[in-house]
Amino acid sequence: MEKLIHTPEGVRDIYGSELAMRKSVNEKILSTFNLYGYKEIETPTFEYFDIFSKEIGTTPSRELYKFFDREGDTLVLRPDFTPSIARSAVKYFMEDGKPVRLSYSGRAFTNNLNLQGKLKETTQSGAELIGDGSVDADCDVLAMVIDTLKNAGFKRFTVSIGEVGFFKGLCEEAALDEESILKLREQISVKNYYGAGEMLKHRGVSKKLQELILRAGDVLDKEELKELADDVTNEMSKAAIQRLIEIYDVMCMHGMEEYISIDLGMLSKLNYYTGLIFKAYTYGAGDAIAKGGRYDGLLGRFGHEAPAIGCVFLLDDIVSALLAAGVKGADDTEVQVVEYGEKDRRAAFEKIAELRKSGKPAVGKKV
Amino acid sequence: MSMEGYLTFALTKGRLADKTLKLLEHAGISCTEMEDKDTRKLIFVNEEQKVRFFLAKGPDVPTYVEYGVADIGVTGKDTILEEGRRCFEVLDLGFGKCRMCVCGPESARELLEHHEMIRVASKYPNIARDFFYNRKGQTVDIIKLNGSVELGPIVGLSDVIVDIVETGSTLKENGLMVLEEVCPLSARMIVNQVSMRMENERIRRLISQLAEALEKE
Repeated sequence: MEKLIHTPEGVRDIYGSELAMRKSVNEKILSTFNLYGYKEIETPTFEYFDIFSKEIGTTPSRELYKFFDREGDTLVLRPDFTPSIARSAVKYFMEDGKPVRLSYSGRAFTNNLNLQGKLKETTQSGAELIGDGSVDADCDVLAMVIDTLKNAGFKRFTVSIGEVGFFKGLCEEAALDEESILKLREQISVKNYYGAGEMLKHRGVSKKLQELILRAGDVLDKEELKELADDVTNEMSKAAIQRLIEIYDVMCMHGMEEYISIDLGMLSKLNYYTGLIFKAYTYGAGDAIAKGGRYDGLLGRFGHEAPAIGCVFLLDDIVSALLAAGVKGADDTEVQVVEYGEKDRRAAFEKIAELRKSGKPAVGKKV
Repeated sequence: MSMEGYLTFALTKGRLADKTLKLLEHAGISCTEMEDKDTRKLIFVNEEQKVRFFLAKGPDVPTYVEYGVADIGVTGKDTILEEGRRCFEVLDLGFGKCRMCVCGPESARELLEHHEMIRVASKYPNIARDFFYNRKGQTVDIIKLNGSVELGPIVGLSDVIVDIVETGSTLKENGLMVLEEVCPLSARMIVNQVSMRMENERIRRLISQLAEALEKE
């Protein structure tokens, strides 16, 4: 009979020097969170479906791993941590009204398509700052993202920042229906500006608004942001741009503007974001290695209104990007082998015990 | 992974690659290595301009670009839609124009007007599914074929087909016709999301140069 020893698609064994490197990189990430005042929290691997439902705005339902408990309730393996953290923050931490800083690290699960070369089980380490809606809080998180990537060993990377309010405001002003907004989002998020332009023309959107929506992709620096702010007429989009300008100024005060690039056309798949969103990119990874944003509406869904912002580091992609950049993994510590025969067993055991006591891994081998 | 300092292009083998190379000359990018038709090389490099090229099958181009092993790719809109990969679609190159259509014999026209279950043969099952489920709300049985899709309705495997139509002459010769248009198609330039950020200036300059050249044509 053939023995089944391979794993299902999208999950894998991790061991040896790769695991050692993962652990040391993750350690660096978590210790940076710690330096920024975050306390670790663990939430369950699975929760009720409602925590990750469409209303919350997380992963599409078809990409969730769902199963039932004995009572017939639908349970879900967490696709990301933010809704769980928001839920537990409402439950345990919201009494004195002070900002709460929580960090986590663990596995997350998405039931994505087969044969796309994507993992279904990934390791995510992230942090959530709850109860502070200020620009300074936005920048504190951005600064931590930059410091964390530096500490993890990256030299060249960029953090793109955007604001979901800009696009939302323009869509409202253009009075687009939900279906058109979805289509437009799809096209803007793949930077298909000529396709988006065609569609807007087709929907009878005014020339001026068309131009504004399409200009988002061309904005690169603060000066261009200011020009755009002057041309935008609706309040929501204007506020979004002002906020980005402020964030950029504060990042300059942090002395970190070299890592920041502006991308107003950036959109997120997660619908719970309400303000700043960001993604960190580097060579050697085909997608963002860290991302996050502000989600001021999410805690309200769990019964307690509070502003919040968070970030997540995708450990699997970070490790492969580091390897691609030539950063060497941590070597496994050599294990010393002590050989012994029938006669000198006692002496050998003593020697092995000594080695272990002094912190050196050792095993015995009878010859 | 894509080499730092180089821009790597994944081009669709055949006519599309030739046309793309001609267009790239307008942006001052060339590759003499590729002009030798008998070469067995897989990757072509222009060291001076720091660009690399490789040729791939159309449906694989978005895959190479999504993973970032190529920064830029050129392929048809049909494969972009069918593969559903996450890349930036930055430019309509205008050539390779054709249409994705539902085709069949005249007698099948009626089947598309109701919501009854029909059989659809296609090389593009994802595009076909999206069109019938999400745009028409019709339940269909989709059969994936790998070529000569026109055979489907002729031999009775399916009621209609979803396929690319250029001139329509193959259809006509086989007694089939276009029943409905799904979408227009043409060659597109796609860019990896990370490359777009890390090599932003270089790629943007290239896009605007190409857009200019296209407008002149």
